[in-house]
Amino acid sequence: MNNALTISELTKTYKDFVLDKVSFSVPEGSIVGLIGENGAGKSTTINAALGLIQKDAGYISIMGKEELDNDTKEQIGVVFDGSNYPEILSPKRLNRVMKNIYHSWDEHTYMSLLQKFSLPADKQISQFSKGMKMKLAISVALSHNSKLLILDEATSGLDPVIRDDILDMLLDFVQDEEHSILVSSHITSDLEKIADYIVFIHEGQVVFFKPKDELTEQYGIIKCGAAQFDALDKSDIIVYRKMDYEWQILVSDREEMQRKYPKAMVVPATIDEIMLLYVKGER
Amino acid sequence: MKGLLLKDLYIAKSNILVIIGSLIVLGFGLSVLIEASALLVLAPPCATTAVFISITSDANSKWNKNVITMPVSRSQIIGEKFILFIILSVLGIMAALIPCGVLAIFGAEMSLASLLLYGSIGVSAALFAGCFSLPCAYFFDPDKSQIVFLMSFLASTGIIVALVLLINLFIPVKGNILLPFNIVLIIAAIFFFISHKIAVMAYQEKDIT
Repeated sequence: MNNALTISELTKTYKDFVLDKVSFSVPEGSIVGLIGENGAGKSTTINAALGLIQKDAGYISIMGKEELDNDTKEQIGVVFDGSNYPEILSPKRLNRVMKNIYHSWDEHTYMSLLQKFSLPADKQISQFSKGMKMKLAISVALSHNSKLLILDEATSGLDPVIRDDILDMLLDFVQDEEHSILVSSHITSDLEKIADYIVFIHEGQVVFFKPKDELTEQYGIIKCGAAQFDALDKSDIIVYRKMDYEWQILVSDREEMQRKYPKAMVVPATIDEIMLLYVKGER
Repeated sequence: MKGLLLKDLYIAKSNILVIIGSLIVLGFGLSVLIEASALLVLAPPCATTAVFISITSDANSKWNKNVITMPVSRSQIIGEKFILFIILSVLGIMAALIPCGVLAIFGAEMSLASLLLYGSIGVSAALFAGCFSLPCAYFFDPDKSQIVFLMSFLASTGIIVALVLLINLFIPVKGNILLPFNIVLIIAAIFFFISHKIAVMAYQEKDIT
């Protein structure tokens, strides 16, 4: 399977933050969710991939090309948090602008998407709600035959109904196996619904890059007391966290753990819980 | 680049119309007091203010970040603002020429030499101001760049005076007034071109977040 996006050993150093040898890929036809707490390095990774910031080291390839030329940019649809379009414009005027920027601009698709999302074509963007602005940004991203969609915190701050609409649209987009999506979000429940792979970034480093099903179907949390915790084989523990009344231990194979420790309570782990344990737990 | 220009013309449209309208009205109004062609000194600097409206709008809407992901190069992004600046200077000149033309038809005294003189002073002032303020708009935050923008008009006036005094050492300005100001115009155009090159070079490496 080819990769729509490959990031290898990406490094970027700031005064107070280092993005440290980040590596992962977005296989064609898949949705990859980029998770991590605020300031973990998700946006820095996306900004470097899109050529917004200069990388210090590492390799980035989009659609098999290391150089982000205009032909490659034609095939990338980007949605940031907020619309990022001049608010004085209307969707109709934005259409005229985009028609003169993208060679592959598909006016018919754009107008159909505006209609599908009930976005008024003549109203100024400044009068749109946050959800409408996001739908407009997605309409633009989908109207120039994009093969790779990159969304940076695009669903944050939206109500669950609009988020659900957007997630459905993203799922529709990857029905064509040439299409791929990289979506960063700290709303992990959204990614649980749509992502094929999860990349977890913490303090500028990739903690894991795994298929989502492996995380949700194999990972588990052992909830136990101090005595039971002491009895555990420490090599089984990925991370653990001492709570008020119990210990929570993240394990990579919950069925195996249930067999090994029949008296322990082993429960499935959500991506949110895995992320929390990695961030707040101890090793 | 056509799309970028179109976007900026949409953003600055109302401002451009107000400025052009004001220049025409001012031209007729001033003609009672002074020669209407003197308006050509003011017209280009006034008309180019719309560029800074578009730059401020880009910064506020975070368009600067979005446009980098589109199929346009960084040099095209910068180049478009410089081109817009020139287009607006020309529009300013044309707007100022309307009252001049109308008044000339009705018998007002106006010489080609004075039109060329005031026109070259106005365009020189705009180009010098642009060559300082346009690059700064991309490297300072909006508040600082607005201060630079205001200061640049003062600076450009000072530079023109200094250049004319300098030229006067070699070519006497009295009795030969058009030539020194045309030399100033050529110098301003060269500065503007160099400023564009410097802005493009610096913007290539700039992190946009």
